[in-house]
Amino acid sequence: MTTSGLGLPGIVVFVALFIVFAFLGFFGRRFRKGDETILSEWSLAGRKLGVFLTWFLIGADLYTAYTFVAVPSGLFAKGALFFFAVPYVAITFAIAMVTMPKLWIVSRKKGYITASDFIQDTFSSKTLGLLIALTGIVAELPYVALQIIGMKAVLTVMFPLGSGVSTIVTLALVLSFVILVIFTFMSGLRGVTLTAVFKDIIIFTSVIVIIIAVPLAYGGFQHAFSVKAAYQTLNQSTYGLGYTTLWIGSAMALYLYPHAVNGSLSSKNEKNLRMSTALLPIYGIGLALLALFGVLVYAVAPAMSYLSNFSAASRGIYVVPALILYTMPSWFAGFALLGIFIGGLVPAAIMSMASANLFTRNVVKVFKSNISSKGETLIAKWATVVFVFIALAFTFVVPETYSIQLQLLGGVIILQILPSLFLGLYFPKLNKHSLIAGWAVGLALGIALEEVANKFGVLTSSFYTFGPGLVYIGLLAVAVNIAIAVVGSLIANAAGVKNSKVAAPADPPTQN
Amino acid sequence: MADNKVSDGKRVGVYVVSAILLVIPFIAYLLLPTYDRVSPELAGVSFFYWYQTLWLVISAVMFGVAAYLINHLGGEAS
Repeated sequence: MTTSGLGLPGIVVFVALFIVFAFLGFFGRRFRKGDETILSEWSLAGRKLGVFLTWFLIGADLYTAYTFVAVPSGLFAKGALFFFAVPYVAITFAIAMVTMPKLWIVSRKKGYITASDFIQDTFSSKTLGLLIALTGIVAELPYVALQIIGMKAVLTVMFPLGSGVSTIVTLALVLSFVILVIFTFMSGLRGVTLTAVFKDIIIFTSVIVIIIAVPLAYGGFQHAFSVKAAYQTLNQSTYGLGYTTLWIGSAMALYLYPHAVNGSLSSKNEKNLRMSTALLPIYGIGLALLALFGVLVYAVAPAMSYLSNFSAASRGIYVVPALILYTMPSWFAGFALLGIFIGGLVPAAIMSMASANLFTRNVVKVFKSNISSKGETLIAKWATVVFVFIALAFTFVVPETYSIQLQLLGGVIILQILPSLFLGLYFPKLNKHSLIAGWAVGLALGIALEEVANKFGVLTSSFYTFGPGLVYIGLLAVAVNIAIAVVGSLIANAAGVKNSKVAAPADPPTQN
Repeated sequence: MADNKVSDGKRVGVYVVSAILLVIPFIAYLLLPTYDRVSPELAGVSFFYWYQTLWLVISAVMFGVAAYLINHLGGEAS
């Protein structure tokens, strides 16, 4: 079939709002102005964000375009299993409440900017800090790439399908990223924070309007679920254990990602951080409603017909953009699509910044320690630019389905830093060699199980068939990792092996 | 001892109550057989979906109360 695309009113709204977005990004540097040549000013907005802004920033940082596109896409293709995202985004914040305020306190006291700063200092090991930093950077890259894939899907549905589309999409994408990089370079996290609030308002308005309007116009969820009756519940005997282990593993993984740590450390104090983290499950309601779009679309015939233009394997990412396009008036569709589009840009900026911080502080500085504070910030700023464009290039070189697989693998990989970061916060006496051994075995096991589970072919599943059912591989690998770290440390401590000759590791902090 | 109005015993109590508040949503989601069903439906959406979404709200309330307790009665060192 021929498609009409978004139409002029929608495109005008989209472009106008994008200009506002860019303006906020540039204007952000004047917002609670700080010395942007200091790294903690540039990348943590001077650690000054209150409950409200922290909530918006971390929300915008964690609930990404990829989440808004991939979760509904999963629900559309596989049904209830993909609703694991809901318990995941509830419980991850309980874990964050136990870990992030504590990390905030020690980071403020000792001037840490990254999780690796903390790990390197606590365990007196630059090697461990370096390994953890590289793990974070590697796991983050496909995550940034997936933001871009989500944004591409939005741009694609805006134009009539045909020969010129991919050129327009590429140009628009590159232009948006150039603007993003310029304001991130100049305004740092201050600019990103203002755009995050803007993004959140648009997304929430859109989701609420659509979730009310579409069921009213298309015979409600009854109609959608009558087309896909099997999607009403989870097939427990097959997926029960898989569902549970997947949300638990994902909840454990989220706050290990560099962008989550970066967002948390930008809070003004640990009390604000604790409160805004506690309230973040509310943001998940938007995700839950969007996830249901993956089922709702079955009731919308024109959207289904549009989706049939794509192969079964690749149509998932167009579900939400197509649903918006075919149910809303042009101008409102432009508004909503822009929300998802900048919903990819904002996290992409924070993710790249967080990777750049790791690269600067825990990779470059390990090999060249005499860098001035100004020089450090400059390296981090340029590294951010490089990371953004590597991710962008990545999406043009690597096929989309392959990026999604790398993201699956990224979750398994990032989980392997859990003992050093989360356990390290409470047990600084863990032995560094045991932590490194656990990390190495966890990584090797996780990757090997992924390969075996997918019969050494294309990675489509992160489940391993284990006894009574399917188990999330990340959770298996990190369990082995934790066991090695703990048992190894017990043996080392019993043998009197210390992490450093100088007994100066981090004391439990008592004051700000 | 920045917050000297709060006794040690009370502080321990605050942390125990907060821990319980953080764990309750975890247990609720863990009990998959209790919510993996179709009825009662809400506006055509099966119980499986709306129940878990409702728990997002309950979780935020419980976590918020826990955060409030720790922030106001937990003392400075947390």
